Amino acid sequence: MEGRCAVETWAQFGFSGRSYKVKILCGFGTDVLICTGTEEIYVFSKRERKITTVLLLPAAVNDLVGNQDKQLIYVACRSGVYRVNLQFLLHRDQSSQADASSSPAELKISQECLVVGADEVSSLLLVGSVLLTLCQRDASWLLTLYKTPKQTASTSHKEFGSFHLPVASAVDCGAAESNRGPRKGSVLICIHSGDVEASSSSNASAESTVAQDHFHLEPLLFKLLFGVEAALAKSPVILCGLPDGRLCFLPLRLPGSRLRVLHSLEQPVCFVGASVVTETGHAQCLVAAGEQGRVALIKTDKAGSEGGSAVAAFTEGCVPGPVWCGCMDKSCFYYSTGADLLRLDLSEGSFARESKERGEETSGTTAAALQSPSSLNVCRVIALAEPACSTAAGDVQLLGVSARGQLQRICLPAGRVDEGSSKLSSTQVSRSVRDLLSAIGDVCERASVLKTVIKSKNQFLRLLNHAVSVSFLLMADTTTDLPIKEKPIRCHFETSWSRLLQKDSLSLVCFLHNSSPFVLERGWTLSITVSPLSYSSSPAGESSSTNFSFPFHDLRPGQTFEASLPIAAAGDASFPMTVSCSLIFSLSSLLGEEEVAASFAGLQSSCISLPLSTLTVDWLHALQLNSPTATHKMATVQPSSAAADSIQTFLSSRQLRCGGRTNRGGESAAKPEPEKYSASVWVSSEIVRDTLKPKKSSNLDAKESIRDPEDLCLSLLERLLSEDTEGVKMGCQGDKIALSTSVAHARGPNGAAMKLTVKEINVGEEESTDKEATIEVQIESSSLAAVCGLHHAVLRRIQTLLQSATEKAASTKNVQILGLRRALQRAEIQQSQISGAFGEVVSTVQRDRLLLSVYQELRRNPLLIV
Amino acid sequence: MYQPPSLLEKWSQENNELVNKCKQEAAGGAVSRDHRQSSLRWCSSEFHKLLRKIQGIPPHVDHSQLELAVVYNTCVCFTAQSQFSEAELLLKEATERVLQVTGNNADTSDPLVLWRAGLKSAGNTALHPHVLYLLCLQWALWLAKCQLENIGELQMSSLCEIVCDGVGDCSPSEAKGRLSKSPLLVMEPKRLTELLQICTSIAQGAEKLNEGRSSEALSDLQAASALPATRALVAYTHLLSGSCLAHMNRPQMALQCYKRALETDSRCVCALYRSMLIYRQLGNTQAEIQALRLLHSTLMLPPATEPVLGGIQPLSPSLLLSSQSLSRLLSVPSALSVLYSLALKCVLSGRVTEGVEHYLDLLAALHSEDQHAVRVDAEVSVLPRMPELYLEAGTALLFTWRPADCMAFCNEVISTTLELVPEKVVLEEPEEGIGGDARGLSVEGEDKVAMLLWAAAAYLVQGHCHAHLKDWKQAVTHYTRCINLLVKVHLKNRDFQPQIPAADVNVKHGKDLCTLQRMKGLSLAWRGISFTQMDQLREALRDLQLSLQAFPDYTGAGLWCGEVLWRLGRKHEAAACWEKTWSLTTQTSVEKLPLYLQDPQSGPLLDSVELRFRIQELVPPV
Repeated sequence: MEGRCAVETWAQFGFSGRSYKVKILCGFGTDVLICTGTEEIYVFSKRERKITTVLLLPAAVNDLVGNQDKQLIYVACRSGVYRVNLQFLLHRDQSSQADASSSPAELKISQECLVVGADEVSSLLLVGSVLLTLCQRDASWLLTLYKTPKQTASTSHKEFGSFHLPVASAVDCGAAESNRGPRKGSVLICIHSGDVEASSSSNASAESTVAQDHFHLEPLLFKLLFGVEAALAKSPVILCGLPDGRLCFLPLRLPGSRLRVLHSLEQPVCFVGASVVTETGHAQCLVAAGEQGRVALIKTDKAGSEGGSAVAAFTEGCVPGPVWCGCMDKSCFYYSTGADLLRLDLSEGSFARESKERGEETSGTTAAALQSPSSLNVCRVIALAEPACSTAAGDVQLLGVSARGQLQRICLPAGRVDEGSSKLSSTQVSRSVRDLLSAIGDVCERASVLKTVIKSKNQFLRLLNHAVSVSFLLMADTTTDLPIKEKPIRCHFETSWSRLLQKDSLSLVCFLHNSSPFVLERGWTLSITVSPLSYSSSPAGESSSTNFSFPFHDLRPGQTFEASLPIAAAGDASFPMTVSCSLIFSLSSLLGEEEVAASFAGLQSSCISLPLSTLTVDWLHALQLNSPTATHKMATVQPSSAAADSIQTFLSSRQLRCGGRTNRGGESAAKPEPEKYSASVWVSSEIVRDTLKPKKSSNLDAKESIRDPEDLCLSLLERLLSEDTEGVKMGCQGDKIALSTSVAHARGPNGAAMKLTVKEINVGEEESTDKEATIEVQIESSSLAAVCGLHHAVLRRIQTLLQSATEKAASTKNVQILGLRRALQRAEIQQSQISGAFGEVVSTVQRDRLLLSVYQELRRNPLLIV
Repeated sequence: MYQPPSLLEKWSQENNELVNKCKQEAAGGAVSRDHRQSSLRWCSSEFHKLLRKIQGIPPHVDHSQLELAVVYNTCVCFTAQSQFSEAELLLKEATERVLQVTGNNADTSDPLVLWRAGLKSAGNTALHPHVLYLLCLQWALWLAKCQLENIGELQMSSLCEIVCDGVGDCSPSEAKGRLSKSPLLVMEPKRLTELLQICTSIAQGAEKLNEGRSSEALSDLQAASALPATRALVAYTHLLSGSCLAHMNRPQMALQCYKRALETDSRCVCALYRSMLIYRQLGNTQAEIQALRLLHSTLMLPPATEPVLGGIQPLSPSLLLSSQSLSRLLSVPSALSVLYSLALKCVLSGRVTEGVEHYLDLLAALHSEDQHAVRVDAEVSVLPRMPELYLEAGTALLFTWRPADCMAFCNEVISTTLELVPEKVVLEEPEEGIGGDARGLSVEGEDKVAMLLWAAAAYLVQGHCHAHLKDWKQAVTHYTRCINLLVKVHLKNRDFQPQIPAADVNVKHGKDLCTLQRMKGLSLAWRGISFTQMDQLREALRDLQLSLQAFPDYTGAGLWCGEVLWRLGRKHEAAACWEKTWSLTTQTSVEKLPLYLQDPQSGPLLDSVELRFRIQELVPPV
């Protein structure tokens, strides 16, 4: 957009608050001097784009003027006026810069530089060799003239004249001033008559560069305002704006001239300048601006009221906002209200005047120009200056100091709309509307971004809160050791065999029930580790454990999460295995964004792991029961696989049968055909009855039926096969296995056929009368591994059964001393056998066999569990 | 009440140290005025502190002497800084304390009564000299505040003798002994009384002169000139004596006095100025010019630091000689206005070349960078306004046959003023009291009428230039322009007769009107003369007759009118016209008119003798 102006911050200096005494002094080559009302003056180099030097004066600086030819600056401090030879300083500065110090050099201005010992000089002006100071003394303003020496070396500044002007008696000025703290500055400028400049062009070039407080006014206006005599004497005129609003002038070189009042703004004058420069370089308009926005434009009115002679026309108007500072260029007056930088195009009024002819309308249009300053959208500017080297192409560059202490270059757009004023205003309006809209859009965008950030943060916090709550909940579980059923978040498993692509596979289905009041959301993961309970360390040394993880999406309270994990295909699994599951809360997944996760690589591993439970899946869980109905059903359902299945069934049954035969034969060791291994567990039927009782305590009949040993065996078998131990349950594939007999044929996970028999036997000495009613669980299989595994599983079940049984068992009868004795005897024999096996030097095969037989003995003759 | 002597010693030691420090500062030379002022300020505050310590206890005989010495020192410092009221208050308190010590009571606030009582009570005690010293200070204060009648009433001159004698009386050894004991003083009382005596004489002389009692003043001043004092002060007495004599119409004796003043103090510019005025009064133009030249060169000298006047004494004569009548007598115009007077005098007395040089010097000085708006005393300033200065300089150039330069000057004035000249201007009869002063204060700085008259005068002088070059056509053009401007002025007052502006009416009815009429006469006459040269006799006759109407006193117009009539063959009319013109004996005093409104001495001239001859030739036929 062409109407925008670019602000470039050049430097920042430590400075805060608003001061009236901020001044920018240009025109020292590439150096810009800035005083901020403190003791410091900053020398900013445009070439190096940094503050090169800081001049430290003994007191707070009120004003600053420069003499470019001699490279001198005069500084008005609270304690007096100091003269600083800038060239000398900068030379020294350059030589010191060879030391490559990047920080600005600090130069203390000593008392030796004091040239005028006047207190509280508020303004300075240098006209040729004359230094003027303006200060307030008691009840009058005092303008004092000093002669500066020709040689820069000498410091004598002779006072040769002074002019008094009584302070205006207006009470409000003084009172308001003292209340507001810092005394406001005055303005001193020098006005030259235009034709003087033309006549002495050699002088002009030198003077025009120091034009910051020197203006060349159109000769006619000059004469009208300051008199013919001043014009004839070629005298520059000093114009001073005072805080009481008066604008006074003094022809400098006219003998007998007095300080006279030109105009009064009735509010503190904060800027005086001249603008609307013609081709000849003469300003046509004198501008004075008061602090509260009153602006006086002083122009020549050629069509004067009386007799057609020219008169000076004073146009007063108010511009919006307080005027903090201002500066002029060839046609415009720029001023800052603090909130905005405004441009007042003064040539506009004269432009409009050309078309219209009436004198009244002239002032009307000028006043209209005052009404419509255009905004440049730069805020908080407290000092302005137009750098001497303005670029070509009509670009206007201003130097500003912001309230935050930044030196800024403000580039104004070159294009000025040359249409009529009405059209201009409409385009201006549309432009400003567009500006506003885009600004609103910008703000909205930023606001929404901020909103989402806040929202995500809130989300994050909520999740964290949940996570912490959940982890506390789980930690409380572990400490209080609740039974698993009552845990707020619990999981249990089911095993199930499935047949896929002619291959049976066992899968473990995990159910996670969330009964906590929290939703398990994103970021939570269920991790299940499956590892064999007893693993022989493989040569590679790797653990054969398997990890499964299931991320949650939204598991609400009361819901159950179900996941099935393939544990093993038939034949290649080592049971029993441990399943430990835990809940994992991961921070990185919480953050969600990939880039965040990527950027914080460390986060990926950072997660909270909360153990839920650890279970064991044993052989009993993994059994595949063979039931005639099931086989039949399968055969009918799947004809293709029916043949193979039936063959297998046949084979396995044959094996069993013959196995059973050989077992009965009692000769086992030397048989070449596959051996039949067996193991058995004896449990006192009394205990079994007691433990199984609570299960069916609901009906009294059941207790009766349990009396029946046949029923007892059946229910034990049932219990063994389908009992839910530690949350693991054998899944019922298809329909429930109806166990008609107390003998169950099954296939183990390794495919070995096995038989599980539960029957009541009487254990004890044949001669003894008190025979103990005992239930024997016998496991038979041709596979040693299967026997072992199942034996282990059955033992575990019975163990848990007995644990759940109450201490009632303590009331059991006397210990079977006989049984014990026999057991001891067996143990002795076995001991001797084992030591014999190790003692004799036989082949390893023989030893193995020997040991195996001992082991079998151990298995086959268990102790009775009472 | 017992006071440990150590305290007294301490105080007197402190006083002595301060006095020594003061004297060192003063002896160190005039470093700068600021520096001296600040050291003085420091001293006075230190003395005042000490005094307050001493006065913190009730007055007592033992340390009254010290106290009075400190009061003296403090008051000298205060007076040197023009803090008269503070000093006076201290003196009053001190007198009251003296009265308390001596057991008298003063219930009066009249200082005169108080002092008399104080002196009486001090009597012949050791305090007496100190009370006298304080009285001297009171004298200085009265003098500084121009309350001369008080001084007269207490007969201070007798006091002076006592003070001087009091010191002189003591034998050297005795004096030494007393000095070592008595506390030191910042300014020696003897010096002070001497200074006071001559200053009082000068001030009283000026006062009497002002009141017209010249002879009385003269004798006093002549007596005072024998008093021991600095050269500058003695020169003042001579100067004032001269002024008295001038008042008594004894210019030669006055000149003698001025000469003596200059001999005493070569920097006494006022004496030069006064003698110049006497020469002017005597009509001794050459001497006047000489005096002006001297005066100017003296004024252009760099102002000396005033070691003679200031001395090393804290009290300077300028502080004591502040009366208005005296400063009026001593005032001297600025160098620029002296230069202007010199230039004008030269031109008027026929030393035109010299005058032109001075004019050019003056303008150069006005345009130089060094010229600055130093305030000038309006009473003495005789400098005309800038455009008038230009016009005068231009006219002077024309007199020295430099028409081109003259035209440049006039062009400058025209280019400056013409834009501001209104279409129509009303010239009102100026009321009494409000003269040009009120006009000068107007915001726009310039009066419209003045602007118009300046522009017209510039055209007039340009016309003269062309006439001088015999470029009659151009001359007619410029005279016409002048006339065109002049006719824009409308006279408001009806019953006023503009036809008879005599020299004495001048002052009464305003310079503007006179200037206007004279300019009308001149421009019309000279256009007529130009037409004559171009043989356009009818136009010439019309203009010359109009000119005579506007300004009957102008002889040139009358003569030329006759000439034109003669040429037109109306010889009798011509003769009558000539006769009439010759009969006008009232010559307006040339010197009161601005230079540029005088009859140009160039151009075609008519020889009166030849004209008379023609008349005589004409008569016989009649």
